[in-house]
Amino acid sequence: MKKSLLIPAVLLIILITLCSGCIAGDKTVVKVVPAGSLLIPLDEIEQEYEALHPEIDIQIEGHGSIQAIRQVTDLNRSIDLIVVADASLIPDMMYREGPVGVNYTDWYTPFARNEMVLAFTPESAYADEITRDNWYEILARDDVKVGFSNPTLDASGYRALIMMMLAEEQLNRPGLFNTVIGDSFKPALMVNKTENGSILELPVLLQPESGSKVTIRDSSLFLLNLLESGGIDYAFDYKSVAIGQGLRYVELPAEINLGDEAFAENYDNAAVYLGFQRFATIGNKRTGLPIVYAVTIPYNAPEPEEAEKFMEFMLARFSEGGEGYPAPL
Amino acid sequence: MKKILLILVIIACMFSAGCISNPYADIDWPLTLVGADGTEKILSVSEIAALPSVSGHGYAVSTVGIKYGPYEITGVPLIELLNQVGGVHEGQTVHVSAADGYLWVFSYEQLLGEDLLCLDANLKEMKTPAKMTPILMYAADGKPYPYDDGGPLRMATMTAEPDVITEGSLWVKWVDRIEVHG
Repeated sequence: MKKSLLIPAVLLIILITLCSGCIAGDKTVVKVVPAGSLLIPLDEIEQEYEALHPEIDIQIEGHGSIQAIRQVTDLNRSIDLIVVADASLIPDMMYREGPVGVNYTDWYTPFARNEMVLAFTPESAYADEITRDNWYEILARDDVKVGFSNPTLDASGYRALIMMMLAEEQLNRPGLFNTVIGDSFKPALMVNKTENGSILELPVLLQPESGSKVTIRDSSLFLLNLLESGGIDYAFDYKSVAIGQGLRYVELPAEINLGDEAFAENYDNAAVYLGFQRFATIGNKRTGLPIVYAVTIPYNAPEPEEAEKFMEFMLARFSEGGEGYPAPL
Repeated sequence: MKKILLILVIIACMFSAGCISNPYADIDWPLTLVGADGTEKILSVSEIAALPSVSGHGYAVSTVGIKYGPYEITGVPLIELLNQVGGVHEGQTVHVSAADGYLWVFSYEQLLGEDLLCLDANLKEMKTPAKMTPILMYAADGKPYPYDDGGPLRMATMTAEPDVITEGSLWVKWVDRIEVHG
């Protein structure tokens, strides 16, 4: 190519590249911090939104719900959208003054619900036998291994414990919690039954006995990997996560699955005290509540208008639902 | 002999001119160690960096699968650091807390490198666990560990082998206090 043509050619290439949006620096970045159980649907929603709005770069950074909020409240990061798997955390942690004298937020929009299920694979022990009616008998068998996330790190972990505490009461099966979970620890985890409901106080170190029927992993990600490799037979997890991972699952009664607002009073009858206070800004008591997802835009969102546009799109997509999406409210 | 003397003089001049300096000297980040009997000791990053250290591989993953690293990390094994306040023994726990209000608790066995999970590149559990050492890290890739990544002092799980991924929940950022309980 002649030298005189080289410069216009380079300029043309740069212009075409800019117009097609390939240079990320020209895009408006919208930072979204969601709960881990929303990562599969949000990945899909992000791609759809960016295809419609090539000038926008949706950047998603998953965390546990409490950690998601702490990015704003404790770590002073500028985030555009916070999306959590426990709506109650937003008023609890964000309806308070931040460093510039205004609340971190004053509102939230609940938009989806989830429920606890028992996820399993075709290779799980008694996979062809387990049903909605006999699941607790299967779990109680000596040769069945179960797993859940670390309750200190992941909401689905303490929700698994609460669900089993409610199951013992609801199914009138005294000792069920200990047979399936509590007896795998030394000393055994003991549920205190009071007039206000069932209370479980966890030890500082929550480590099942080696070779026992219980395994704990940091989060769903590691737990379900273990399930798929045959390390456990059944995992307590969210229904949307089980579906998103293509796993089989047993649905549990609405009275105990934390998925139905109509049973909110029932869920409130069980609470777990974590073994230590992981965060200075939130206590260590976790009470049974319906699992409701919620979104908010923090006071210091760098792109509040774009955040709102994306939020509206996201809410519309969640209301339609999809595979691996928590159910719309 | 003259040559050696000349080199020594040059090195001495470089020190006095500040050409070779302690990269940790200006980091204002006191760490409080508290022993099981209440003994308290405060160490600067510079003092920690002067203790016998170990170096190896560090690679972590968050609970949602975000990988951090791999790094070449340097620090002091936590179990050895606690010898400054009487040590830690079987049955005791170690509470590591951070400037942002975060707390994590380690068992004695974990400090020995036991009861820790290690994962391969696909985040599957490794059948043969690697040798792991929880350390208080102050350097990564030969430089002081940066504040934005959780420095200047961060817990880390060091492995002798590369490409071993460890649980990010143990990598406490901005460590400013370590207590022995029990």
